[in-house]
Amino acid sequence: MSAPAAPTGSGATGPAPTGPTTAGPATAGPTTAQRRRGLTLQELVLVAALGVVFGFLYWALVQAWAWLQLAMGPLGDLAQHVLIGGWMVVAPLALYIVRKPGVGIVAELLAATIEVVFIGSPVGPMLLLVGFVQGAGAELAFTATRYRRYGWGVFVASGVTAALASLALGTVRFGWLTQDWFAYRVGLELVSGIVLSGILAKVLGDALLRTGVLDNHAIGRAARAARRGDGGDPGAAPAPAPQQAGA
Amino acid sequence: MIEVRGLSVRFPRAEGPVLRGVDLDVADGERVLLLGPSGSGKSTLLRVLAGIVPQTVDADVWGSVRVAGAPVVVDPARPGGTDPGQAPGVTDVPTLARRVATLTQNPADQLCLPTVRDEVAFALENRAVPAEQIGPRVHAALTSVGAGHLADRRTSELSGGEGQRVALAAALVADPEVLLLDEPTALLDPVGARDVADAVRSAGARTSVLIEHRLDELGELPARLVVLDAHGGVRADGATAVVVLDEARALAAEGVWLPLAAELRAAGVTSLDALAPDAGPGAPGAALPRTTAAPLLRAHGLGVRRGTRTVLDGVSLDVHAGRVTAVLGLNGSGKSTLLHALAGLLPGGPDAGTVTGARVGMVFQQPEHQLLTRTVRDEVAYGPRRARLPDVDGRVERALREHVLDGLADHDPFRLSGGQQRRLSLAAMAVCDHEVLVADEPTFGQDRRTTRATARALTALAREGRGVVLVTHDLRLAGLVADDVLVLHAGRVLAHGPAEAVLADDDVLARAGLRLPPLLAAWRTTGLPLRPLLEALDARTAGSPAAQPERVA
Amino acid sequence: MSGVGFGRPLAHDSVLHRRNPTVKLAVLLVVSTVLLAVVDPWTPLALWVLALVAVARAGRIPWRLLLRAQLLFGPFAVSILAVNCVTRDGPVVGALGPFEVTGPGLAIGLSLMLRTLLVGTLSVAFVLTTDGARLMTSLHQHVRLGARPTYAVLAGYRMLEQLPERWTTIRLAQAAREPARARRQGSAPAWLRAARTGRGLPDDAARQDDAAPREWRARRGGGTRLPVSPRALARAAFTLLVVTLRQGERMAVAMETRGLGAGPRTVHAPVTLDRRDAAFAAVTVGVCVAVIVAAARLGVLASWGSTFG
Repeated sequence: MSAPAAPTGSGATGPAPTGPTTAGPATAGPTTAQRRRGLTLQELVLVAALGVVFGFLYWALVQAWAWLQLAMGPLGDLAQHVLIGGWMVVAPLALYIVRKPGVGIVAELLAATIEVVFIGSPVGPMLLLVGFVQGAGAELAFTATRYRRYGWGVFVASGVTAALASLALGTVRFGWLTQDWFAYRVGLELVSGIVLSGILAKVLGDALLRTGVLDNHAIGRAARAARRGDGGDPGAAPAPAPQQAGA
Repeated sequence: MIEVRGLSVRFPRAEGPVLRGVDLDVADGERVLLLGPSGSGKSTLLRVLAGIVPQTVDADVWGSVRVAGAPVVVDPARPGGTDPGQAPGVTDVPTLARRVATLTQNPADQLCLPTVRDEVAFALENRAVPAEQIGPRVHAALTSVGAGHLADRRTSELSGGEGQRVALAAALVADPEVLLLDEPTALLDPVGARDVADAVRSAGARTSVLIEHRLDELGELPARLVVLDAHGGVRADGATAVVVLDEARALAAEGVWLPLAAELRAAGVTSLDALAPDAGPGAPGAALPRTTAAPLLRAHGLGVRRGTRTVLDGVSLDVHAGRVTAVLGLNGSGKSTLLHALAGLLPGGPDAGTVTGARVGMVFQQPEHQLLTRTVRDEVAYGPRRARLPDVDGRVERALREHVLDGLADHDPFRLSGGQQRRLSLAAMAVCDHEVLVADEPTFGQDRRTTRATARALTALAREGRGVVLVTHDLRLAGLVADDVLVLHAGRVLAHGPAEAVLADDDVLARAGLRLPPLLAAWRTTGLPLRPLLEALDARTAGSPAAQPERVA
Repeated sequence: MSGVGFGRPLAHDSVLHRRNPTVKLAVLLVVSTVLLAVVDPWTPLALWVLALVAVARAGRIPWRLLLRAQLLFGPFAVSILAVNCVTRDGPVVGALGPFEVTGPGLAIGLSLMLRTLLVGTLSVAFVLTTDGARLMTSLHQHVRLGARPTYAVLAGYRMLEQLPERWTTIRLAQAAREPARARRQGSAPAWLRAARTGRGLPDDAARQDDAAPREWRARRGGGTRLPVSPRALARAAFTLLVVTLRQGERMAVAMETRGLGAGPRTVHAPVTLDRRDAAFAAVTVGVCVAVIVAAARLGVLASWGSTFG
């Protein structure tokens, strides 16, 4: 049993790799084809896991929060806008990692499903609608860049669009527009959206990238491509791999 | 059934390939054991056979692979092979799963549905088996692995051994042609491991490829052995009984666990008695004499209840400076809970008992749970910095060296392999100034080489004058490092005394459900002192210390 | 919230337990959407009272449990009342601290508060009578939710079941990383001195700890105090996230290697959907409509247009 010469170094004259080693990770098989279509199982489970962890932490936080809200009287209702960004962060984080159209909405929908079905939410299935609207809002900024740029500016913009979408829905549900403090609500929600949703998503995504858990997702591939040295702005995502472009 | 030609695999961040030019043919019904040092690509080979690498896990792959007739990796140089994006011939993972089943280490990673019935039915549903046939087949699969009584349980309530048997049933239920087994018993206690190993063996005459470390505990091995070398190539391939002896010396030097006969061969002796000259009295490593001084830590009458279950009941233990105590027992006997209690991590109560004395540092069973920082260096430096100890850098460098973590200082701790993480959490605790250190399974998932390093580190801590308590399933490790052994059963102390005396007490071991591995059973017949004997054996089988460094995962 | 475990219904059987979970979810969504347009207090009040009685009987949910559930979303409901009272234009009818309470504010506030209690009650009843995993199966079966999203959520459920224990373990494991004590100036660590003197814990080490009553310092009794600084909590949360994501990656592989996504599939234990579910939906939505019609007849029904129109 003699093993043939191993491929030593890139560009060796040994057996040809099944994939181009210079551009994008060489992968064989239909996963590449799957990547063109919707979300892979890996991506869906990742997004569900994000929803589970944030749903759980948010749930634990809200347990303590409810009584604080009561103690604040009329201001308690305003205070909800401070935390709202933390609930919406799943969408930009999922987009940052997976980098496909619709992921922001799917992420919020899965997170809301887990909240409604398994954790239990007093808002009930209305939360699915809330998730859809917030996810769509957060995704808008990324859609505008055609899912190609992931710099700080896009995340801030995503926080703004998410906050505006969330405000619009809240206005329909609770009639905020005819209240006195609408401007405060807008201000708080924008700040929360920018900081706890947009910026936090970028910070978390970068920290997670370092740990290696995202190596097999678009964010990890983009980081490797950037490292291989097209010298591009590391914050900006390189264009999707050629085989994805036809999507 | 399996046909591998010129397979090479390189992961994107790695410097070199993890597999190089592997050729492997496995005939229908043949069972193969795969051995090799850490980082030799054993798991990667299995994941290629299942299609996971490179379809789900990114990697560059060369060569060609067919499994159960299905093309899994297609060489573009051959007809039909083209751009990987098209790769017309390649079978995707779910389709391949109709013929190939996989079982890995951890039930928590494999049981994905809320009930046992759902879990086992899942593979049949995915093959569109008519609903009325599913029930009987689920029942048959569960029965065949001795888990028929678990059918109505929730997956979240299963023990490790039960979960692993259910995962095996879920893999076997669809009657796969090929079974890929990646250390299916690695996380189980000796009893659970034997149950699962028996279930795997009786799984029918399927083609199978097995990675397994506990070669000495699990009975009959597969007939054929393939050995990978540290560079990811095939070094030997043949009948297990022959190859394991032929390769014994090299395997032992590379840190691979071996059956007793092979280990003796590696040590160049025919029986343990021949080691008597090395293991005489006064040999290195004789325990410090038991002090009469007051203990560093005194635990008295510890009791813990969870719901209606008694986890610990009246456990007392003194931890002395300079001594290592090993806590032995099956899963659920209260070992980990005892460590939590010693570390002061459990709430008090009227019947909780008392723990008095020194501050205790604890190394948890799952090392990643203890990680706090973003580099290995910061991780080790965390405690000394918080305690404002002098010469933090020096301490960190020494600790990294002692725990075989050199070269990893700037890595993110989460990127390390499980074994490296385990050594890191021990290193991070050792550099702090706790008088007592307790460690929960510090050698889980370690190969021989790194187990030895961990054993040395634990012994060194005791030499410094600290008290050390460790929980382990590995009786050999207990024999190597422990001065005292405490045996727990159902939350109560069955025995507590000098290691040699307890490990020689058949009655206690039987009542605790423990079984001596063949090496320790053989030691009993020699009349030699245990620790020097084990050290002599290790010294004779160890390779050069400058063996191949581990790869980063 | 259910007290049994995430996603687990109360252990008994009831009419509500037996209804198709997708139908229950849809009915709940319809009712809460319709109520968005209602802003008078009387309509949601009537529906809330009806809902409490209905779920207590049809779901056999103990009153004690229902009342405790109200406490969960009560604070949220009350704060909605409070904020509406003091932020809407209209004739002043009272004061709340430094704020003036207006008539329309009070009416709308009460309406939104009662709506919150109503939807909260129905949602709790839904969770207490519905097996989450069966709901996912039903969504897969009856509304053609794809196999991959269905099983991604179910895998998420398995992760969720393990989170509380994992969180506790991580918090303890990280707390155990704190060093024994900040070293005092010029003194060697106790274990070092123990080694030098060849004795157990030296006397001066005990003396060094002022709180030690005698030679030994008792630590048992209060349990350990976990650090609650935002930094410690954030570290634990990050570790929880990493560990769970890694588990998710392996679970996705496990599901793929058992054939998920290989084409058409069957369901081994289908969820039933029959005429009784249609009757349940008709009755529930019918009662809701009837109450709204009655409120309109009585002249108490109000919507956003009619309030400020």
